[in-house]
Amino acid sequence: MKFLCVPCDSPMKLQSVGPPERGSLSVVYSCPECGYEMAMLTNAYETQIVQSLGVRIGPQGDREASSTSGAGCPFSSMIPAMESTSRAPADGEKQPFDPARGRPGESSEPMPVRWTAAAEARLANIPEFVRPMAKTGIEKFARERGAVEVDEQILDAAREFFGM
Amino acid sequence: MKTYHDIAGDGGSGILEQVAEQRARIADGLAGVRHLVAVGSGKGGVGKSTLTLHLAGALRARGLRIAILDADFNGPTQARMAGVQGALFVPGSRKVALPRTSNGIAVFSMGSLIPESGSLEFESEARRESHTWRATREFALLGEILGSFDWGTLDLLLFDLPPGAERTVQYADFLGARSSFVLVTIPSEVSRGVVARSVAALSKGPYRVLGYVENMSGYYCRDCDAIKPLFDPGGAASPCPPAHNALGRDLAGASAKAGRPPLLSELGVSCLGTVPFDPDLARLCDRGIPLGELADTPVGLAIDHVARQLLDSLESTPPTEPSR
Repeated sequence: MKFLCVPCDSPMKLQSVGPPERGSLSVVYSCPECGYEMAMLTNAYETQIVQSLGVRIGPQGDREASSTSGAGCPFSSMIPAMESTSRAPADGEKQPFDPARGRPGESSEPMPVRWTAAAEARLANIPEFVRPMAKTGIEKFARERGAVEVDEQILDAAREFFGM
Repeated sequence: MKTYHDIAGDGGSGILEQVAEQRARIADGLAGVRHLVAVGSGKGGVGKSTLTLHLAGALRARGLRIAILDADFNGPTQARMAGVQGALFVPGSRKVALPRTSNGIAVFSMGSLIPESGSLEFESEARRESHTWRATREFALLGEILGSFDWGTLDLLLFDLPPGAERTVQYADFLGARSSFVLVTIPSEVSRGVVARSVAALSKGPYRVLGYVENMSGYYCRDCDAIKPLFDPGGAASPCPPAHNALGRDLAGASAKAGRPPLLSELGVSCLGTVPFDPDLARLCDRGIPLGELADTPVGLAIDHVARQLLDSLESTPPTEPSR
C-alpha cells in the first residue's frame, strides 16, 4: 500500500507507527513536499492480515530493533500454549527424547545457568516459538554435566549427544 | 496524478522487500535439497503420514539423505511416529539443528513442540475471524521453519501435507515449480473422487504429479500369509499396474457417464504402487518404531517398490519450468 499527496503528486513517507491498541495500528505518513500529515488507522482484520504475512510495518530501524527482541515473531503467540501442557508417554512407547526436558515449570528451582554472549547469539537463530523450550532444555543438559555456563562447547556437545 | 506503479517503494516499511527477504531465506535453506516431494491427497485418513514416514525409511535404507517436514501443523503425527516427541532443538552458528530418527531421518514436526493435549494457537485480535487470516499465518510459519532450520544437503525433503484438495494446491503454490507431488488414495470411490479433484486442481499450475499410491489395498493377514480385500475392488484407483498410463484421458468421460469418479490413470497419473494395510505397521507407528522389522513383509516390500518407482519417476521427469 502506498500513499500519495494529491496536491503535490508526491509519495508520502512513513513517519511513525503507534503501538497496537485493541487491534488497531496508527501509521502516520507525511508529504515530504508540503509537510501534510495523515494517519492510516487499521481495523483488527487489517492488522491481523499484515501480522499473518510475517512482515512488520514501520521504519527499517524500528523493524530491526523489534526483530532482535523477537517482537512480532509469528511464533511468539504459541509459547504460552507450549508452556502450559505436557504429556507422559504411554506404556511401552519409545521415547528417544525425554518429553519433560525443556518444558518449563516442571522442575523445582533449578540452579541458574549463565549464557556466554556467543551462545546467546546462537540462541537467537532459533525461531522465537522454539526458543524457550530449547533454552530450558539446553540449560538442563548443561546442569547434568556439571556446567554452570552454556557456551558454544556445550551447544556442540548437545548437538552431538542428540545425533544432530 | 501518479499511479501505484509510478512510485518506488512503499514510503518506509518495505513490505515487498521483507517478503523478498523471506523468500531468499527459504531459498537459502533449501539450496542443498535436490528434490522437494510433497505427499498429499486431498482426502483425510488415507495414510499419508504413515506412507511418508515409511517411504522415507525405504529411501534412507537405499543410502539417500532424507528429511521430513510435517506440514500438517494442526494435526501433526510425525513426531510420535518417528519417535521425536519432545525433541530438543539446538542452535548452530546459523541454523537450528533438526532431530533425527534412529535411522537418520531428520524430522520437523509441530508434535515435537506441542503436546497432544494442546493445539496450535496464534495470538490474534481477530481470533473469532480466523477463517480470514489463519491459512496466511500458517504459511508464514512454514516459511520461517524452512528458513530457520538446518536442512543441509538432502536427496529428498518429503512434505507430509494436511488433508484438503485446496490445501494441496496452496502448498504447491507456496513450494513452487521445484516441488513434485505424490498423491495417496485408498480403494474407494469417495477417496478416488477427492484425489481426482486434487489432480484437477494441480493440473492448473506448473506442478509435477509423480504418481499416486493406492494405500490399504487389502490387508495383510499373518495367519494366512495373504492379502485379503479391505474395500470393494470396484473402488480401486485403477488397474495398477499394469499399463496404468495407457488408457488415455478421454476415458475419464466414460467414468463420468457411468456416475463414477475417474480412474486416476484416466487423468494421466501413474501408479507408483499399492500398499496393503498391516496392523503391525499401525502398532509400530503408534510407538515410534521404524519399519525395519517389517522390511521383508508384504507391506515392507510394497513400500520399497513405491520408493523405487518414486526415484525412477523423479529421475525420468524433469521439473516443470516456472510459468510465472
